[in-house]
Amino acid sequence: MNEIAKTMAAAASGMAAQAARLRLSSENIANADTPGYRRKLVSFEETLAGDARAVATGPVRLDQSELGRVHDPNHPLAGADGYYDGSNVDMMVEIADAREANRSYEANLRMFEQARQMAGSLLDLLRR
Amino acid sequence: MDQNLTLLRLASSLAAHATARQGLVAENVAHADTPGYRARDLAGFAETLDAGPGFTPQTTRPGHLDFGADPRGFEAQEIAAFGAETPNGNSVSLEDQMIRAAETRQSHELALGVYRKTMDILRAGIGRAR
Repeated sequence: MNEIAKTMAAAASGMAAQAARLRLSSENIANADTPGYRRKLVSFEETLAGDARAVATGPVRLDQSELGRVHDPNHPLAGADGYYDGSNVDMMVEIADAREANRSYEANLRMFEQARQMAGSLLDLLRR
Repeated sequence: MDQNLTLLRLASSLAAHATARQGLVAENVAHADTPGYRARDLAGFAETLDAGPGFTPQTTRPGHLDFGADPRGFEAQEIAAFGAETPNGNSVSLEDQMIRAAETRQSHELALGVYRKTMDILRAGIGRAR
């Protein structure tokens, strides 16, 4: 039974980490047009949750790559040359990231569900 | 009677093996996107059983029965699915892990099925068949 609890802890940590990643990805997409916005990134690290080798998210970091320059002389933030700093969010990257997080989240959910079913059928042995 | 008890022990060993393996698969899936993580799995139950437990009881007569596989003896080892390696050093392939999860599910069901049937036979033996 302990082994099953360990399985569930690992799967739950995976779901939490992927959900955090998905949240940051949607924040990035929401701010794709915010001037001066830097996209947020999070790293995955190995930790111990009790016995299980669980996954945890590291500190949130900002992508330090160059901000996109947008030409719009009418924009209040535009400089003398008519350009202002946009965000460095790349929609394609964010959507790919969100898809990957979604896929991994579902895989973790299936693992959790399977562990639950295995525990259930084990307990069924007692119920007769 | 002794035969049946060995069968129960064998079935519970298989169930323990499947559960331990499921734990490793869940860890692998949780780490599907962790840089540098290496996927791990257990050796198959048959191999573990053939390799024998950590200690073997002395059998002084041909009728003596030895123990089943020791669940604590299961050792995780690195596995690598072909082509699963990513540039960040992660070697988890979700598809491969799903197959492994299905295998563990199957052997767990098998173990519990054998356990249940053995119990039924024992029950029938004491005249309480359902």
